[in-house]
Amino acid sequence: MSIFSYNGAAIVAMAGKECVAIGSDLRFGVQMQTITCDTPKVFKIHDKLYLGLSGLLTDAQTLHQKLMFRHNLYKLREERDMKPSTFGHLLSNALYERRFGPYFAAPVVAGLEPDGTPFLCGMDTIGAIETAKDFMITGTSPESLYGMCESMWRPDMGPEELFETVAQCLMSGFDRDALAGWGAVIHVITKDKVISRTLKTRMD
Amino acid sequence: MDLSRGASHAEAAPSTGTTIVACTYKGGVVFGADGRVSIGNYIMNRASNKIAPLSDYIFLCRSGSAPDTQIISDNVRHYLHQASAESGEEPSVLMAANLVRLINYNNKDHLVGAMLVVGWDKHAGGQVYGVPISGTLAKEKWAIDGSGSTYIWGYCDSEFKEDMTRAEAENWVKEALALAMTRDSSSGGTIRMYTLDGDGVHHTYIPGDQVPQFTGELPFPNRDPSGAVLAAAAAREGGMVIG
Repeated sequence: MSIFSYNGAAIVAMAGKECVAIGSDLRFGVQMQTITCDTPKVFKIHDKLYLGLSGLLTDAQTLHQKLMFRHNLYKLREERDMKPSTFGHLLSNALYERRFGPYFAAPVVAGLEPDGTPFLCGMDTIGAIETAKDFMITGTSPESLYGMCESMWRPDMGPEELFETVAQCLMSGFDRDALAGWGAVIHVITKDKVISRTLKTRMD
Repeated sequence: MDLSRGASHAEAAPSTGTTIVACTYKGGVVFGADGRVSIGNYIMNRASNKIAPLSDYIFLCRSGSAPDTQIISDNVRHYLHQASAESGEEPSVLMAANLVRLINYNNKDHLVGAMLVVGWDKHAGGQVYGVPISGTLAKEKWAIDGSGSTYIWGYCDSEFKEDMTRAEAENWVKEALALAMTRDSSSGGTIRMYTLDGDGVHHTYIPGDQVPQFTGELPFPNRDPSGAVLAAAAAREGGMVIG
């Protein structure tokens, strides 16, 4: 079995009108056995920046810890939070540093730039970065997720509509994936707050 | 984006990574299966029928390789039909089980079929036979098989009772399947359940949203490794995090 489908994940991030949403499934499993259903794969870096990591969960957790460390040092020196676009490039560089022994994780970065514009980018396991204005996905069933997002996304959605769209794309996408699902969590980031909701889904 | 993706859908073989459950009760047999067919981690069919009729009152619960078990069921249905035409009687469950077993045994190098032969005949009433890979035949009071069965041996052992009522037996089968479908990624979707009691065949189809769930209300996940630090920082004004 591929190292990227050892644990399983489904992550969707979308941009709306002055807001972004990012969500992941909650399954933690080892190959075909499900261990827990309370493991989100989306991590907060700061109030306006969230990071989703699919792939091997141990590498996702380690990458998150290393990036938190980098961001904390940045905050001490710069006396402000890191811009999402900067963070994306920081992550890309950190992944390419390990070009010949990579972290088996594929990230999605979602956040709001200081002027309020949404920022979305995704990378492969060695840091090839691509930004998008609409959506970014990663996980063990990318075809399902792409299909849903391509059909459902439209520009300038408000926070509530964006939540609904991300929720439906994520749920319908991972319902066809044996390794992702068992609940979902979605964070909607606007300029004054973050609304995080858990979804109750089918548990198979 | 994914550089080292494993076997593509075209290369992996479809498998009924599955849970199948059968038991005898006072008056007949109850048996059931989940509905998931997967190719690798892609769910190719989320509502498949893994219970094949071999005759009017004999059924085959299929797990393992999807094509192998389909061919076995087609072949045995044909043999049984011929045998009952020659004898003039309804075929016996034991004969059906032996036919399945012989195909498994004589082709053990090529076939991967772990099946249950369940039925009702006038000689011995309701019967459950386990016919796992390689060609064993075991008559049992209850039997389970498939990848999801590993998660429910404890449940089945502790909850099975002899001479259950029809309702108790159906509940036992349904709960066992639902528990396995929760934990095993290659089982899920829907539950199909049959009850045979000599009066006829009663089929119950349980769609995905009516399958019993065992997780209750989930609390908001809070497994962020640096969650404790971030939560404390959020409480303070300014939010400087000394990590």
